[in-house]
Amino acid sequence: MKRPAAALGAVALAATVAAAPPAPVDKGVALMGGTILTAGPAGTIEKGTLLIRGGKIAAVGQDVQVAAGVPVIDATGLYLMPGIIDAHSHTAIEGGVNECTDSVTAQVRATDVVDHRDPDIYRQLAGGVTTINVLHGSCNTIGGQNAVLKLRWGQGPDGLVFKDAPRGIKFALGENVKRSNFSRPGPRRFPATRMGVEVVLRDAFREAQEYGREWEEYEKKVKAAGARGVKPVAPRRDLQKETLRDVLAGRVLVHAHCYRSDEILMLIRVADELGFKVRTFQHVLEGYKVASEIARHGAGASTFSDWWAYKLEAWDAIPYNAAIMQARGVRVSLNSDSNELARRLYWEAAKAVKYGGVSEDEALKMITLHPAWQLGVEQRVGSLEVGKDADIAVFGAHPFAPDTRVEMTIVDGAILFDREKDLAARARGGEATSGGAR
Amino acid sequence: MRAAAVAALLLATSPAEAADGVLAITGGRVVTVSGPVIENGTVIVEGGKITAVGAGLPVPAGARVVDATGKTVYPGLIDALTTLGLTEIGSVAGSVDVSETGDVNPHARAWIAVHPHSELIPVARANGITAVLAAPQGGLVSGQSALVRLSGTTPDALAVKQPAALHVVYPTGRAPFDLSRMFDEPERKTFEERQKEKRRIQEKQLERLRHLLEEAKAHAAALEAARAGGPAPPSDLRLEALAPAARGELPVVIRADAEDEIRGAVAFAAERGLKLIVAGGLEAWRAAGLLKEKDVAVLLNVDRLPRRESDAYDAAYTNPALLAAAGVRFAIVSDDASQVRNLPYEAAMARAFGLAPEAALRAITLSPAEIFGVAERMGALDPGKDANLVVATGDIMDHRTEVTHVFIDGAEQSLETRHTRLYREFKDRP
Repeated sequence: MKRPAAALGAVALAATVAAAPPAPVDKGVALMGGTILTAGPAGTIEKGTLLIRGGKIAAVGQDVQVAAGVPVIDATGLYLMPGIIDAHSHTAIEGGVNECTDSVTAQVRATDVVDHRDPDIYRQLAGGVTTINVLHGSCNTIGGQNAVLKLRWGQGPDGLVFKDAPRGIKFALGENVKRSNFSRPGPRRFPATRMGVEVVLRDAFREAQEYGREWEEYEKKVKAAGARGVKPVAPRRDLQKETLRDVLAGRVLVHAHCYRSDEILMLIRVADELGFKVRTFQHVLEGYKVASEIARHGAGASTFSDWWAYKLEAWDAIPYNAAIMQARGVRVSLNSDSNELARRLYWEAAKAVKYGGVSEDEALKMITLHPAWQLGVEQRVGSLEVGKDADIAVFGAHPFAPDTRVEMTIVDGAILFDREKDLAARARGGEATSGGAR
Repeated sequence: MRAAAVAALLLATSPAEAADGVLAITGGRVVTVSGPVIENGTVIVEGGKITAVGAGLPVPAGARVVDATGKTVYPGLIDALTTLGLTEIGSVAGSVDVSETGDVNPHARAWIAVHPHSELIPVARANGITAVLAAPQGGLVSGQSALVRLSGTTPDALAVKQPAALHVVYPTGRAPFDLSRMFDEPERKTFEERQKEKRRIQEKQLERLRHLLEEAKAHAAALEAARAGGPAPPSDLRLEALAPAARGELPVVIRADAEDEIRGAVAFAAERGLKLIVAGGLEAWRAAGLLKEKDVAVLLNVDRLPRRESDAYDAAYTNPALLAAAGVRFAIVSDDASQVRNLPYEAAMARAFGLAPEAALRAITLSPAEIFGVAERMGALDPGKDANLVVATGDIMDHRTEVTHVFIDGAEQSLETRHTRLYREFKDRP
């Protein structure tokens, strides 16, 4: 990367700041001369300037005035895009992915088991990823609550949590929930069929509705009793039902793992009947067969670019899935579900161009703006627009090109991955880079 | 583009006829791999073989002409480590023939089970892969692999080279799974104790392999003596299958990722006189000097996580560039079945992390052909070679590029797949 000596100081400063809780550089930093793929209304800005101040994007465009004294990073020849958002991840919760003992575990929370030292956080930063949706596994019909994380490498577990992200929960349908591809000693768990999966959903939400009525009754009694009356006894708090009650109230986003088109329709019917919304269908490999129904429900779809044939419910998976759903008006994201694949999501997006002819701008949104919407954080991240968080991936060539590589990744205005510094650290200290950075 | 390709297919003669006819691919950027790139080049195919490659070649009278103006012509890609044809749907046991039961199966031969009608084959082919090594997995001795072309309706039609290699898994040193002890408290052991235990298990397995290879040679000698009139030894398919590898005639592909496993495999092969190829090779860069010295080729896939926490984030990505710099022979492979179509993108990642573009392409064409001894037939656009050709809209390692034509032995292949059929069926559903 071409970078004047003065800018190196700025980089070092930003990196130092990153180690402490976010206290962004006041003067800001300007990235100048690069091609800016905004994923926003401005589209692509050639030879643009992006000004970061206070961890936010202060200005972006061709005619941005950069005040004297503001450190400048020369981005000539480089490509800037919004930090990549992975809407399906299990990073940083190794060993805490599945609470598998019951088919309804709405009470467990991924935020309780975040491991900020997971080296995959750094490795994914090096692939341009800045926000991940850490989901519970697919072992149960209603799994635990998710953790939306920003990859603020160097901070503690709480420092990684994306504070303003709405709560979310994992649902799952099909083979994994039925446990049909897993043999273990002992009796099988209910559900063992897709029929049972539907029953578990209906049952759990009926109970949550009843639980909600108990609380409403109680609150009525409290009101009636007033300040002086006999205090009514509160219902026993049930963290599982409380969470499902929040789902019914629209306070928790539902991310539903699914494969077959019929089970997707099943969940839409159940959701309509019980009165909740599905925010995203995850995997959704047969989404292309019912794309209009998904669009009408108002859900997004987070899928793999081209995985198929690994199980029966992935047999009709096609790489055109993203393109078809997008064309029917579904907000589509491409996810990794893998610590390895997460590092090259920019090329997963490129596959949407190949399979189904999605435009490059729209394909880019599948790993930025659309997953941001799916996680309810589109006001904060997902595009390079003024006022949004300065989460930026800087590439050596167009992110879809075969020779491209991430050179720098910025989170909240702080440079948390810098390939030059990484290489320098290797030269100094032998092998340690990701290990040494914590 | 796609519609045009489909139309061209409908017009084309049937594959068998086309293979006998004359074909000229004109006007394209011809990437020969074995020699320089030819801009505005022509490739002439006759009787299923390439007969001429060059600029400004006259088109023979009566030849079918494929206009590749603005496109790029490549040799068919070769994926030198797959389970293609051996597995259909991963979770459906009835459709999977990858691993035999038991752990010494040299007599399990991939070409017996590679399914010519696998739905996975057209999917791989549609992105330019024209030949693969189909190899069994698992156990200590997994079986024998076959190099197959991705066209044909019978196992014989697919065959290019069988056996291609014997496949062995370097012992990891993990204690065998014991169901009766599943719920025991884990034993508390120091790192040194665990390392010692690991090496003991590894050595025991290697000793077993050593013994099998010696027995195989003895068995072969006894068979030889029987042909000269001596008593016949009892039939033993295992030992018969092992003999060519034991004598150093058939390559032995040993799967090894960790540095100590790779070095162990090299030492074992040297001791037994085996013709070694390393598969996996995640830490091959750590043993690059040794691999060069012993001239051991490596089959590696690039899109992997580093093996150690302390490794650089890009350790797997830079592996090919480091091997190339050290002069180690290698091929880039998918090590998969449903993802074979992504082979060129594994090469792209190697390229992004320091491997020259020409070397990256070579690692999925000519290098695998050389490693498995079929470079006389495939891997480059040279006169005399099988006409395995791919025409693409651009750089084949660019994810946005479309493959518009695939020829295997001169016969144009359909680019229709299970995926394009479902796409057509559903793309306009309201």
